[in-house]
Amino acid sequence: MKTKLPFMMSLFAIASFVMLVLPLFLKNYGVYLMSYWLIFVLATIGLNLILGYAGLKSLGHAAFMGIAAYIVAMMMKTGIDFWVAAPIAVIACFAIGWIIGYPALRVQMHYLAFATIGFNEVVALIFRNEEHYTGGTFGINNIARPSLFGYSLAGNLEFYYFILFIVVTVGLLTYFLVRSPWGKAFTALRDNQIRAESVGVNIQRYTLLAFATGSAIAGVAGCLLAPLVQYIEPTQFNSQTSILLYLMVVLGGSGYFWGPILGGIIGVLFPEWLRFAEGWYMLFFGLIVILLMVKLPNGLLSLPEIINQRKAAKEKAAAQAR
Amino acid sequence: MNIRKLIGAVALAVAATGVSAQQTVKLASLVELSGAGTTAGTTFRNGVDLAVKEINAGKGILGRKIDMTTLDTQSNPGIAKGLTQKVIDQDVFAIFGPVFSGSIMVSMSESQRAEVPNFTGGEAAAITKQGNPYVFRTSFTQADAIPKVVKYINNTIKAKTVAVIYQNNDFGKGGRDVFMKAIEGTSTKVVADISTEQAQVDFSSAVLKAKQSNADAVFIYVTEEESARALKEFKKQGFNKPLIGETTLTGQKVIDLAGDAANGAIAHVGLTADAPNANIRAYKAKFQKEYGFVPDHNAIKGYTGVYVLKAAIEKVGKFDRKEVAKAMHGIKILAKDQPGVLLDIAFDDKGDLDRESYFVQVKNGKQEVIQTFQPAFTSKK
Repeated sequence: MKTKLPFMMSLFAIASFVMLVLPLFLKNYGVYLMSYWLIFVLATIGLNLILGYAGLKSLGHAAFMGIAAYIVAMMMKTGIDFWVAAPIAVIACFAIGWIIGYPALRVQMHYLAFATIGFNEVVALIFRNEEHYTGGTFGINNIARPSLFGYSLAGNLEFYYFILFIVVTVGLLTYFLVRSPWGKAFTALRDNQIRAESVGVNIQRYTLLAFATGSAIAGVAGCLLAPLVQYIEPTQFNSQTSILLYLMVVLGGSGYFWGPILGGIIGVLFPEWLRFAEGWYMLFFGLIVILLMVKLPNGLLSLPEIINQRKAAKEKAAAQAR
Repeated sequence: MNIRKLIGAVALAVAATGVSAQQTVKLASLVELSGAGTTAGTTFRNGVDLAVKEINAGKGILGRKIDMTTLDTQSNPGIAKGLTQKVIDQDVFAIFGPVFSGSIMVSMSESQRAEVPNFTGGEAAAITKQGNPYVFRTSFTQADAIPKVVKYINNTIKAKTVAVIYQNNDFGKGGRDVFMKAIEGTSTKVVADISTEQAQVDFSSAVLKAKQSNADAVFIYVTEEESARALKEFKKQGFNKPLIGETTLTGQKVIDLAGDAANGAIAHVGLTADAPNANIRAYKAKFQKEYGFVPDHNAIKGYTGVYVLKAAIEKVGKFDRKEVAKAMHGIKILAKDQPGVLLDIAFDDKGDLDRESYFVQVKNGKQEVIQTFQPAFTSKK
């Protein structure tokens, strides 16, 4: 990876140019779609931390987006400012994530997946049934977009840049987190728990920490989703959304830092690009997902590694033949 | 649609963009073609498409053909919002759908901002309560339909007491609440209020409770399959007083499932392909020929919606969104002038509609109309 730094830098430069300049040439829908994609990238960054780095199979990630979105929406409806509501929502997600982390200590692999699906369903049921607070199946409508230092973010383009700023900030924080001793502990946990413990990683604390941090990031995504769509309802945060997020992490490359961005492209932008196929587009989408799963089980970002391995194997074979 | 047709459609779409936009009027339907709302969304879309096809085969609207775009919201409000912006970016004249109330809540604020008329399929009362001048309904709301059932129970059957069986979800609970409110001021008393679950199989205890309440009639408000199960159980327990519902109780699917047990059940139906009306019968035949199944109320909603828009545009005489939306409020469209609306129809100042509806009773495995409810606007005339 060391030799690839200039390559990564130029890629980064191109990416930031696209993200900053492209929306200026798009109409409302394009800007909205890019905002929507970024929010899912953000949620996926959180799940990547839980699933990709700490190896915890969580299928309840959308619940945390929902919890934050509802907290922000309900507080804003009572007249509380977004800038007060959002931090509270994120902290709440961190706390709930910490609590949910406890069962994660007891159950592993698919048992954890089932437990988190259950958690997600419970949360969705609360959104649906506590009609007095959450509006039930009719949801909460007309959620205002915030303003920053008196500057309104109500416009699609303004709000897009705001989301971009948050995503880049959270992305950078995560980048440093996974390279810090914490991040190393996460991956150690994923790769071999017993060995990790033998070198002094406190499994319990790091499992909880990974879960809570990932959940808090999902919370940030939820805080942005509510004012973006300006409407929330329970089905937006059901276990199907969690499965989509999981799919995005796996397809992008779980445990790869850039995985969420690619995963988000596949999960959110792909179906839109495939719309020319009319009634067939979801079928195409499904086929592409299956193809990717079969050909690249470790995600898109494992492609360079596979190519390198093949090249190395070929060279080795050639060397042996000589 | 097969691959060749698909390629054809793509080629056609490409070609269409080349043709000058002057000759067409762009419309869009944003409907649930995948996800939870697939059934409702697809039939609504079929209805819309059939109307567009007919209009394009004829003279179009004021001489212009319709250029229709159909997009799938995946039953997701977040996507519905984006798609509404997309079609508004493409400068459509009007939007049809979505059908699900949640998605309508977001799409209609976008269409209001852009001042684009929006014909929705949802039944929730909240949609038109917000005073959005660009949203128009294609169906009755529960708040319109259920008071007619109450009137029927109180006036026609003259029941002194009634038992209520409802389904505990947004559909059933919503209907029950309207029923309770409407019956409050009448001489009929509710003697049992029985909750059931969606997908409930065993109705024996619910039916027993209704029986023991000794009510003169039972109001049943559950979805189709549950209706069939309830009717079967009532027959099994030998109940012989009137069983009354709204739309779902006497649907064709219920009759098929319940068989004999459905006989005698009475329901108010707003839109039914079985209505005693030549226009609707003809529509049913056309639809069945085109798509191979009997149109339900959603298919009628989509179909009539397009013709309502046509009538409004023709009334204004030009393609002006604001003027058309204004003209829609208080409009009366007679089926003899605009056969596509199927029934005489009127819209009030909120965008809610009014038209004829029926009471039907199942006799020998078929719906028979036993009473016709005249719309308020004709009786006022």
